[in-house]
Amino acid sequence: MKIAVVGKGGAGKTTTSAVLARTLARGGRSVVALDCDTNPNLGLSLGLGMEATEALLTLRDGVGDEVEHAHTWAEIVERFGADAPDGVRLAVVSQIEDPDFGCP
Amino acid sequence: MTAWQGARVRVAFIGKGGSGKSAIGGVFCRLLARETGKQVVAIDSDPLPGLALSLGIPSDDTPLPPDLLEKTNDGSPNADDSWQLRDGMSAIDAVHQYAAEGPDGVRLLQFGKLHGHVRTLAGSQQAFRVIVGGLEETDAHLVGDLPGGTRQPFFGWGDFADVLVVVAEATPSSMLSAKRLARVRERARGGDQTIVAVANKAVDPSDSERLAEASGLRVIGAVPKDPAMGAAERAGRSLLDHSPDAPAVEAVRSLLATLQGETR
Repeated sequence: MKIAVVGKGGAGKTTTSAVLARTLARGGRSVVALDCDTNPNLGLSLGLGMEATEALLTLRDGVGDEVEHAHTWAEIVERFGADAPDGVRLAVVSQIEDPDFGCP
Repeated sequence: MTAWQGARVRVAFIGKGGSGKSAIGGVFCRLLARETGKQVVAIDSDPLPGLALSLGIPSDDTPLPPDLLEKTNDGSPNADDSWQLRDGMSAIDAVHQYAAEGPDGVRLLQFGKLHGHVRTLAGSQQAFRVIVGGLEETDAHLVGDLPGGTRQPFFGWGDFADVLVVVAEATPSSMLSAKRLARVRERARGGDQTIVAVANKAVDPSDSERLAEASGLRVIGAVPKDPAMGAAERAGRSLLDHSPDAPAVEAVRSLLATLQGETR
């Protein structure tokens, strides 16, 4: 099952996503939570705390020139994801760090 | 009021989605217009609606026609500066013609809302950029309501601003967003913009302190959590028309006075 949560800023997308992910995981499912926001806060809502959320690598880091590429999505999530409560595996797609980039 | 005489306000509100940029920005624009008697242009570059309602303007989309622009030089490459407003039209003319007029004489210049494919916005977007660029030379006050998140403020939408005001709640996600905005601002080109923060939906004085500590930003004011703000939003009305004496209005008035010191 693949679920995408969308809506206006402040509507509750991140909170809804986190509760869905942890509830599904508690029900015994294997869950990957993908944070696709360029201002990624899903880690906070999943319960990782501010420091851990700030320390997350993004999947974009995984396709840079400096590191050997991962070959499958599972490998990417394994190498660049983080463990959140209830066994949810969190992966952050992209985060704005460099204002000179034309794209995230 | 004489404090603002001669000053040209160039402010942009940024912050996490839902932090209250539009709600504060709309009240700010109208109070600024009342206190200075000068033209205020509210610049809405968010492709989602919001600022129109808090200004008290019923229409929320007045798109700019792409034929507002002409090429300055047919031989030049298609760079940003190779477009200008068509012959005989100034930036302020364009505002009078295409920016909706709201209460207190505030004009709302809109980027154009997303009705169809993004591509259809390209001409209108270019016109928007050229007009905002032209307005920088005028005496009008410019107040921007930028899209939520950390991306847009530094991709050109907030370039006109002397002061970036980060609107943030004292919640971890909002404060973390403020910290990121400060960090990306640090790396942005042309470091002549001031960046400060305002605590929104504040419930006690420690909210401002926590925001300052978490974001590293100077917090220049706080807008209290005010039920009138939520009621006005649900009613689709400007807070200034719905509850003119609300504590949040008073707080924005104080913010305006404080920001006077930040403006050239």
